[in-house]
Amino acid sequence: MLSAFRSALATPDLRRKILFTLMIIAIYRVGATIPSPGVSYPNVKRCLENVDDQGVVQLLNLFSGGALLQLSVFALGIMPYITASIIIQLLTVVIPRFEQLKKEGQSGQGKLTQFTRYLTIALAILQATGIVAMADRGQLFGNCQDPIIPNSNIFTLIVIVVTMTAGTAIIMWFGELITERGIGNGMSLLMFINIAARIPAEGAAILDKGGVTFAVVCVFALLIIASVVFVEQGQRRIPVQYAKRMIGRRMYGGTSTYLPLKVNQAGVIPVIFASSLLYLPDLISRLVGADGAGWQNFIANYIVKQDSWVHISVYFLLIIFFTYFYITITFNVNERADEMKKFGGFIPGIRPGRPTSEYLQFVLSRITLPGSLYLGIIAVLPNFFLEVTDSGQNQNFPFGGTAVLIMVGVGLDTVKQIESQLMQRNYEGFLK
Amino acid sequence: MAGVVAAFLTRVKSGFQRLLERPSTVDLKKYKDLLTSVRWREEKVAELSDEELTAAATALRERKALDQQAQVELCVLGREAARRALEQRPYDMQLVGALELLQGRVVEMGTGEGKTLAGALAAAGYAVQGRSVHVMSVNDYLARRDAEWMRPVYELLGVSVGWVDQESSPEERRAAYACDVTYGAVSEIGFDVLRDRLCTSVADLVHREPDVALIDEADSVLVDEARVPLVMAGSTDDAQADPEVAAIVRTLRPGQHYERDEDNRNAWLTSRGAKLVEKALGDIDLYSGDHSDRLAAVNAALHAQALLTRDVDYIVRDGKVHLINTSRGRIALLQRWPDGLQAAVEAKERLKPTESGEVLDSISVQGLIGRYRRVCGMTGTAQAVAEQLREFYDLKVSVIPPNKPCVRVDAADRVFATVEQKEAALIAEIVEAHETGRPILVGTLDVAESERIASLLAEAGVTAVVLNAKNDAEEAAIVADAGAHAAVTVSTQMAGRGTDIRLGGAGGSEADHDKVAELGGLYVMSCGHYGSSRLDNQLRGRSGRQGDPGGSVVYCSLADELVVQFAPEATAGSEPDEDGRLEDSTSARFIEHAQKVAEGVNLDIHRNTWRYTRLVERQRGLVLAYRDDVLRTDLAAKQLAEQAPQRWAELVEEHTAEVMEKVARQITLHHLDQRWSQHLAFLGDVRETIHLRALARETPIDEFHRVAIGEFRGIMKEISTLAAESLESVAITEDGADLAAAGLSRPTSTWTYMVHDNPFDSEAEQALQRVRASIRKVKTGR
Repeated sequence: MLSAFRSALATPDLRRKILFTLMIIAIYRVGATIPSPGVSYPNVKRCLENVDDQGVVQLLNLFSGGALLQLSVFALGIMPYITASIIIQLLTVVIPRFEQLKKEGQSGQGKLTQFTRYLTIALAILQATGIVAMADRGQLFGNCQDPIIPNSNIFTLIVIVVTMTAGTAIIMWFGELITERGIGNGMSLLMFINIAARIPAEGAAILDKGGVTFAVVCVFALLIIASVVFVEQGQRRIPVQYAKRMIGRRMYGGTSTYLPLKVNQAGVIPVIFASSLLYLPDLISRLVGADGAGWQNFIANYIVKQDSWVHISVYFLLIIFFTYFYITITFNVNERADEMKKFGGFIPGIRPGRPTSEYLQFVLSRITLPGSLYLGIIAVLPNFFLEVTDSGQNQNFPFGGTAVLIMVGVGLDTVKQIESQLMQRNYEGFLK
Repeated sequence: MAGVVAAFLTRVKSGFQRLLERPSTVDLKKYKDLLTSVRWREEKVAELSDEELTAAATALRERKALDQQAQVELCVLGREAARRALEQRPYDMQLVGALELLQGRVVEMGTGEGKTLAGALAAAGYAVQGRSVHVMSVNDYLARRDAEWMRPVYELLGVSVGWVDQESSPEERRAAYACDVTYGAVSEIGFDVLRDRLCTSVADLVHREPDVALIDEADSVLVDEARVPLVMAGSTDDAQADPEVAAIVRTLRPGQHYERDEDNRNAWLTSRGAKLVEKALGDIDLYSGDHSDRLAAVNAALHAQALLTRDVDYIVRDGKVHLINTSRGRIALLQRWPDGLQAAVEAKERLKPTESGEVLDSISVQGLIGRYRRVCGMTGTAQAVAEQLREFYDLKVSVIPPNKPCVRVDAADRVFATVEQKEAALIAEIVEAHETGRPILVGTLDVAESERIASLLAEAGVTAVVLNAKNDAEEAAIVADAGAHAAVTVSTQMAGRGTDIRLGGAGGSEADHDKVAELGGLYVMSCGHYGSSRLDNQLRGRSGRQGDPGGSVVYCSLADELVVQFAPEATAGSEPDEDGRLEDSTSARFIEHAQKVAEGVNLDIHRNTWRYTRLVERQRGLVLAYRDDVLRTDLAAKQLAEQAPQRWAELVEEHTAEVMEKVARQITLHHLDQRWSQHLAFLGDVRETIHLRALARETPIDEFHRVAIGEFRGIMKEISTLAAESLESVAITEDGADLAAAGLSRPTSTWTYMVHDNPFDSEAEQALQRVRASIRKVKTGR
């Protein structure tokens, strides 16, 4: 591993790429701590200390590396860009003109990227306005009394919105720069950095509780990460033959021609779905207003409280459900089987067409069970240790659930990319 | 606001970069002084005798680099040599073209601007610097013609020149490649590289170290045909496509026993069809994995039966199947389908099977070009592919302005609703123009279309010459006359390329020329758009040479294959008039859109193929370097002595060290060649399924590299182990090892061919794209 890193750094253009990526990340982190003009930093700090809110804003805060609640110039993070690209992707299905562009190859894709950028700016303006409005009315930190924007005339507010929007544009540019000239996918990498940036702060909070606790948490976190890495790389490889071209020649592909199914085929999405859904009852209850009704008490005691057994089991079951659900909609076994049939491929011993799709379905459902259990366990595990991790916010805890899954996913992707670049230069790989 | 400014700045920056890199007209100011000096020196040089001229050119070889002064000298001498030898004084622009070629550029020069001469001057320029130049043409005929045509010029400049074609013997080849300048078709030069791969002694090699490649019709070679692999195969005793399977498949009915997809690129058995075939083959289970070659034979036969049509995709002549190259609309003599398919088509037509065997090695045109230290080229349409030349070859484009400005009139597209209406209107227009005596060149998309148009014209009382499936030399002669008074020529894409169409005919007088020019010059009509705007421009470019008048127009319809395939959603924006003509902008836009999609798809395929072949080319480089060491040194002997010291010592005792060195070389080379061809086959199989890796959110290309590198790592060691094993069993005579007796026979015969645009691969790529698109959606969702 270390020698692979050394050879990565010894290859001039790979070294340049890695250093370039690190430089962008450094600039990005510096920007994340610079408060926007007009924001009172001491007041923000004081409010941050006694924040006890939970939910979506917290999750956003995690994804922006803590920049959001500090109202820094990079407060919005990369979320506007991600949202924009999802929207544009969806629009290509709906708007014929977009569909045409998508088909036109490079030049059309370029135009779509341009649209994505404009939309990102629009979303950023919207989101920045929302956050500034909330901050101005003192809603951002729940019950914090200190004015975050002391001199809140309209001009100051506009300056903050403009600053944050500009920040988003720069982040977008950073992301593209990394993808283009650095290593890995820029957007995911920046997301990774955001989450990783929270580790020291959270770690310090745990360290305050005593050295032994800290050590236990560290060991525990390492175990989780190791097991995530292990499961993420797990695959079921179904052998496939393409008997199309060669007559009178033995098959050479051997064990290298297969259809891979991941143990965790769904990725992190089921966890995000489940946690957003769990947040809904709380949201409804708040919107209705506290009138002390029984169902509201139930929600407050069992659903919102993350260490209650109701919350944990509902969360767990939802994740299992969404894993199956998500795999069913994204992995179309019939389509796969049809495609293989069309191109002359088959699984030895299985007839093409229906039998193949049934077989794929069978394997998929078998492999999804451990996959979903794994996702559920990783996601709920931190809930059992809330006393240790403090503040009842498992989502905010960088060693828990979503965060670890994203970090490991991005980390593995990036390492793989470095490795493949190294391989092309005939170096020993990273994963050996 | 700041965000907008930032985005704006990025755009300005990238726009500026694009501007800087845009292939632009060459800066003539740079050459102004040089050209003046050339003109000034011209008179003096004219007084030299031929011998003195040659001596002056030879003196250039003394100089170390081609500095400004040497360039002037080269231009002056070249101009004078051309004037004496060809009675043509090269224009300034031809000299500029030659100088740009010497900078390693791809130059764009219009038809009739004298590319061949400019290329020859550049080749001579390289030669006097002591470099060896390969001038690559698109076919044997042009290679030979250009070499013979330019020979006197080269001779005056003291540069030796040779050419190779299909018929050349190894000795002729060796002699040709030993010349300063060698002309040859790209495929022929590539095949020689492959054949050199099989030599077991240094004396058999024909190629020298590759140095400079000067490519004629560079866009077509470097872009259109870059993904065509050149293949060398060796015969094996393995089974051929059996007629039995062909007979069974012949009885299958579409819809019931097999299905096709909409665009007719795939066919597959239904479960009923599969059962029927299994029964006919004697109750076997095709899909058990034990009968893969039977299944492969069935699939190939089905492909031949259901998807390939006689006289559209291939013709049968002299008991042989000849492919028709659809992009150029002519018979592709050197091309074959991937082995199984070729045999299946032969079985379908009940022909005697031609030899089939295993692929020993293959190299793509791109890989071939990559071997050269310096690459330059010339073409009539380079600008449109400037991006690709830069991306794939790191080549820059220079546009040489025409000697006289082009005055051809290009009319707007005439769009029709149906193909019949389009053709009716086209015929009417031809008849009308023909009555005035104006020469007409009709461009068609494929052979079938060219014949249809010709018969329609015959019905209308116009006799047309059809160019599609004849040999290059004949075509060239006919095309040269396409500019004669009242000539009507129907031609497929690029038939007779490389030949100038003079107004008034090839042997026409000045008066003939002026008579035709008065009628408006050559009128180029096209029967639809090609898959890329560049091909359209090539056809148009046949008219309007050297400032001649000319005209062009494209007749196309919304039912054209291009539109149906790439923009199936196209609908007319207005009601067609009674002739079916659509004059709205929407229809025209759909046509343009379809062409853009086609260009995009082709570029993607090219880029993808390139990405997949790059690593293999690298591995080939390593293997070849190793092979060269074995061939030229006693490496093999050393290795074997190390691997099996005892046996080696015994054998050296028994025979002589000299004989044993030869034996070691023979054995090692045999295993090396064998192992490499196995490696290629392995990679071929992996390539076919690698797109499935995207399902596990892996990048197929990276996974391909992982597999390929892992496999390659062991190869060298394996070769020496295998060689040591063979050493135990092989019988040794005074002439070396008797490999055949040890079961290590080399192929009894080898032959070379180009793989016809592989229908399987491009499909696999499309599948890959689809899989990748759905995965990407999932990923962004995360």
